[in-house]
Amino acid sequence: MDIYLPIAEVAVNAPLIVALGALVGFISGLFGIGGGFLMTPLLVVFGIPAPVAVASMANHVAGSSMSSVIAYGRRRAVDFRMGGVLAAGGVVGAVAGVELFRLLRLLGQADLVVSLSYLLFLSVIGGLMLTESVGAILRRRRGQPPPPRRDRRPVWLYGLPLKMRFPRSRLYISVIPPLVLGAFVGVLSAIMGVGGGFVLVPAMVYILRMPAGMVVGTSLMQIIITTALTGVLQAGRNQTVDIVLASLLLVGGVVGAQLGARASSRFRAEELRAILAFIVLLVGLRMGLGLFLTPDEPFILMSGTG
Amino acid sequence: MAALPPPGLPAAPQPVAEASQPVISAALTNAKVLVKSDFRGARIVLYGAVFDPAARPSDVVVLVRGPEQPIRITRKQKALGLWLNSRPVVFRGAPGFYRAASNRPLDDIAHFGELRRLGAGLDHLGINAPAEERTETRYGVRDVVVSSLGADYYQWRNAVVRLKEKARLYDEDDHGVSFVDRGLFRAEIALPAQAPTGVYRADILLFQQGRLVSARARTLTVEKVGLERALYLWAHERPWSYGLASMAFALAAGWAASAAFRRD
Repeated sequence: MDIYLPIAEVAVNAPLIVALGALVGFISGLFGIGGGFLMTPLLVVFGIPAPVAVASMANHVAGSSMSSVIAYGRRRAVDFRMGGVLAAGGVVGAVAGVELFRLLRLLGQADLVVSLSYLLFLSVIGGLMLTESVGAILRRRRGQPPPPRRDRRPVWLYGLPLKMRFPRSRLYISVIPPLVLGAFVGVLSAIMGVGGGFVLVPAMVYILRMPAGMVVGTSLMQIIITTALTGVLQAGRNQTVDIVLASLLLVGGVVGAQLGARASSRFRAEELRAILAFIVLLVGLRMGLGLFLTPDEPFILMSGTG
Repeated sequence: MAALPPPGLPAAPQPVAEASQPVISAALTNAKVLVKSDFRGARIVLYGAVFDPAARPSDVVVLVRGPEQPIRITRKQKALGLWLNSRPVVFRGAPGFYRAASNRPLDDIAHFGELRRLGAGLDHLGINAPAEERTETRYGVRDVVVSSLGADYYQWRNAVVRLKEKARLYDEDDHGVSFVDRGLFRAEIALPAQAPTGVYRADILLFQQGRLVSARARTLTVEKVGLERALYLWAHERPWSYGLASMAFALAAGWAASAAFRRD
């Protein structure tokens, strides 16, 4: 059952796109990430032009994150204040990132930066998370106690000015680290066409030292705000949002996200992190591989005239 | 964007020919292709006739060109052990869709120069990269056009055609025109779903003994209708309200799904 997409100007198989949305939505709800790093490359494989895939994906990520953040909110697993601070940084980062991306496209180096970002961030973060979570799983299997949580609070996290209380996360820290983290994720989301959850989730655990139970819901809240802004900016400036494509993805995505958010309570946090780390690592290596392998077709048609 | 008449072809209809002159005539069975949500491509059928009292052997070539779309192309080059994109090259004059249909191979119908002048066939498509060109004086000849792509120019040009062929947007069909009766011919052009919308131009050319003796041009419109058209216009004419509405829809769908799941 094919359907013609009015903005992408290609015909796609509708049930296939709905299933793709459901799969990525499930992963999104399960791990508290937007899933854009999976969705964007997959849509391009199905023949959707890359700018349309990146822009329409933002709608899908915002919708399915909305669906799961409500589920987390009901379990009181969202730190709204922390989410707000992260999102404030994210908004600044996203606007700067969209401009940076335009500049890179003019230079013709957008592809390189996208591939390098995928390779660098996904493999470093995936690798770190995998090492940490597999270590935690092994320790538990052997019945060893978890390593003592380093209570020595990092000076840069607690010594900075503008301290704020985050009662839900039981933190009293400077707002500067979350603001900078939010801005960094915003830039990444514009350049890589992703929500940035795969950076945000580990950063919240390892850098901000937020309680594990708060991380997923709060990360989803930041993702909604950043991707909602990116989606509107992409539609307004580049006219690349395909509402039919986004709706097809959403139909599957919102349902998948609900199932994912439910399933997440059945797994241990470190097991979830290990699986996520594995997926992140795989996608990062796959995307980066193109930089090293001799291409079959050295020429590439680029969309638009820049 | 209107399809411009390709160089070398008469822009205006030919004057009424002498009785002994061969004349070609053709019509499209449907001059308007409507793009709806179930659009999966279309077949354009063209019928035509060759009027030649002398009944000399005739060849028919049908060229269909879509609206012009500039092409940006880049080439992966190895640098520091990595495959990186080169500076993109912009080609102008490339139709968004191109089909050359004929009753036998184009090279047998007419000579290189004639085909080149008409832009008939993928090898003779009039595309060029003006930003890479400059004129210099070489061997005492002034205004020689030199491309900064140098000897690689043809590799770049061929890559454009090859990639467009792969996307099923460019094609050449040696048997695309068939004579169904004496002087009566039929051509069928397959339009894929990814063909651009806009005004297409079909040039129907009659060759005798390797020379163009008569030509006809027909236009064809590919346009979105109904919901597809409304959404496309909305997205392009009021992009901000479109963006806000589609995002609001996405967020509402997310909320609705979570509300629906709560009840069960």
